[in-house]
Amino acid sequence: MHKRHNSSHIIPFILGGVVLYFISGMVDELRVYQGASIAVYVVAISSIILLTGYSGQVSLGNGALMAVGAYAAAVSHISWHIPIILSFFVAVLVAALAGALLGAAAARLSGPYLAGTTLALAIGLPSLANQFSILGGEQGLLFDVGFPPLSLGENFTQYKWFFWIAALAALIMMWLLQNILQSRYGRTWRAGRGNEVAAQLAGINTGRSKILAFTLSAGLAGLAGAMLSMTIGTVSPSAFPLALSFSLMTGAVLSGITTLGGVIIGAVVLVAIPEIADVVAHRLGSSESVTTNLPGLIVSGLLILTVLFVPNGPVEQHRARKARHEAEHNSSKK
Amino acid sequence: MIQLLNTILIGVTAGGIYSLMAISIVLVWRSTRVINFAQAGMALLSTYFGYEAMVQLNSFWIALPVAMIGGAIFAALVEIILMRLLVKHSSTGPIASVAPIIATLGLLGVIRAVVSMIWGGQDVRITGPLSNDGFSVGGETLVFSPLKLLILVSVVVLMLLLSILFQKTNIGLALRASAYAPEIARLSGVKVDLVRTLGWALAGAAGAVAGMLQTVNGNGNLSPDSIEFSLLLVSGFIAAVIGGLESLVGAVIGGLLLGILISFVLMYVSSALFFIAPFVILLAVLFIRPQGIIGAKAGRRA
Repeated sequence: MHKRHNSSHIIPFILGGVVLYFISGMVDELRVYQGASIAVYVVAISSIILLTGYSGQVSLGNGALMAVGAYAAAVSHISWHIPIILSFFVAVLVAALAGALLGAAAARLSGPYLAGTTLALAIGLPSLANQFSILGGEQGLLFDVGFPPLSLGENFTQYKWFFWIAALAALIMMWLLQNILQSRYGRTWRAGRGNEVAAQLAGINTGRSKILAFTLSAGLAGLAGAMLSMTIGTVSPSAFPLALSFSLMTGAVLSGITTLGGVIIGAVVLVAIPEIADVVAHRLGSSESVTTNLPGLIVSGLLILTVLFVPNGPVEQHRARKARHEAEHNSSKK
Repeated sequence: MIQLLNTILIGVTAGGIYSLMAISIVLVWRSTRVINFAQAGMALLSTYFGYEAMVQLNSFWIALPVAMIGGAIFAALVEIILMRLLVKHSSTGPIASVAPIIATLGLLGVIRAVVSMIWGGQDVRITGPLSNDGFSVGGETLVFSPLKLLILVSVVVLMLLLSILFQKTNIGLALRASAYAPEIARLSGVKVDLVRTLGWALAGAAGAVAGMLQTVNGNGNLSPDSIEFSLLLVSGFIAAVIGGLESLVGAVIGGLLLGILISFVLMYVSSALFFIAPFVILLAVLFIRPQGIIGAKAGRRA
C-alpha cells in the first residue's frame, strides 16, 4: 500500500489563485470581504482537521491559539515595529510554540480529557488578556496592515487588499499542508489515530507524532488568528469567544473531518450562516434576542445533526457511497 | 486568622456546588461512558425553569424541586433522543471516539442559544431563601452567611440521599451493575437502557441544584452568558477528574478540594487568576496523578 507522492501538486493551487484573482475583480465589496473571511476559516478549519481528523485529538483550544497568534502579531508590529509581513510569521511561530507546550501535555491525555482541558483553556485564556497593559485590555490592540500599495491602482480597495493577503496565505498553507499530510508524517498520524498500540508496535513514537501535529495545528491557528484580526482591524478578547472554537468545530465536521478536500465547504457555510440567519429572522419578523442568537443555534444544531447523520462529512459520505456502489457493480459483473 | 477562616468557608461552599456538578458528570460518565460537556448548559436551562417557578409562586422551596424535575426530564430526553441516535449512527468510523464529545458540545451551544432566545440576554433575578449577610462572631463579621450554611446543608443532604439510593436500593444496585458490567447486568435481567436514562435524569437533577445554588450564592443574577455557568462547566469537569471520574465520593472530594484551592489562590495570590487557576490545577492533577484521587485505573492516559 506504499504510495509515493513525488509531485507536490502545486499547479492546482496556482490555478486556484488565478481564478480567485479574476473573481475578486468582478464581485462587489461585501463579497470580497466575505472571501477574506472564507480564507481565514479555511486556514482555521484545516488546523482542526489536521489535529482532530488526522491525529485524532479533540481540542477546543484552537480559538485560544488563534488569540495567541493574533496578539503575537499585533504586539510584534506595534511594540517592536516589525514589518507587517513578518508579523504574520511571528504569529505562526509564537502560536506553534504555545501549541508545542500544550501538545506535550495533550500527548498524555486521551479523548474527553483533552477536550475538557482545552475547554478550560479556551474559557480562561482570552480573559487573561485583560491583565496585561501591553495587550490593551478589553478594547484590545489595533492591527492595521496599512493601505494597499499605490502600484495596484487608485481603485484598489482596502477589502480587496485584505482578500489578496488572506487568499494568498490560505493557498500557500493549503499547499504545504496537503504535502505534509501525504508525506510519512501524514501516514504516521493516521496510523496513530487508527490504532495507537499497533502504531507503536510498528515503531512509531506516537507521543512525538501527536506533539508534532499539535504544533503544526497551532501554527496554522495562529496564522488564522492574525488573518482574522487583519480583517477586523483590532485584536481583542471578545474576538475569540468560546463560540469561535465551536464554529470551527462545526466547520471541520461539515468539511469532513478526515479529509482536507472539503475544507472550503465548511468555510463557506460558516461565512454564509450569519447571512442566512439574518434572512430567516427577517422573514419571521422575530425579536432581537432571536435574531442575535439564531446564528449560534444554526451552528450548534448543524454540529449535532452532522455528527449524527453524516459523521464523516457530506463529501466523504458521498464518496463512500459511490465506492460501495461501484464495488457492488463490479462484483455483480463477475 | 479571620481571613484564613473566611477563605476556607468560601472555598467549602463553592466546592460543595462544584461537587454537585462533578456528581452529575460522574453519573453520566458511569451510565454511558460519555463526558457530558452540555451538563452546565442543562444546569442553566433547569435554573431558568426554577426562575419561572419563582416568578409564578415566589418561593425558592418550590422553585428548587421544579428545577430538579425539569432538569431530570430534559436530561432523560437528551439520553433517549440524542445519545441513542449517536450510538446507532456514529459508533464506527474514524470519528467514533470523538463523536460524543462533539455532540454534547453542540448540545451546549443549542441550549445556550435557545435559552437566550426565550429569556433574552439580560439578567433575571433569583432571590435566595435566606440572607447572604455574614454571621457575626465576637465582633467580627464572617463571610459565612445563613444562605451559605443552607447551601452546605443541601449539598450534604443530597449526597446522603444519593448514597442511600446507590447503596441500599435495588435501583442503586441496577445503576452500579450497569456501570461496571453492562453485559452481565443485562443477562441478569436489568433493563440497562432504562437504567442509563435514569442515570442521566439523576445527573440532570443534581446539575439543576448546582445551578440554582450557584446563582443564589453569587449575586442572584442569572443570564445565559453569566460567568457563574462558565465556571460551573469547567469546575464540574475538573472536580470530576480530580475525583477519578468513576467515583461519587471522589467527585465530592474533588469538588471540595478544587473549591478550597481556588479560594486560596484568589485570596492570597491574585483575583485575576479566576479562570486560569482551575486550568493550572487541572494540568497539575493530570500530570501528577492522572488516575485521580480515588480512581485506580490508568484510563485517561493516552
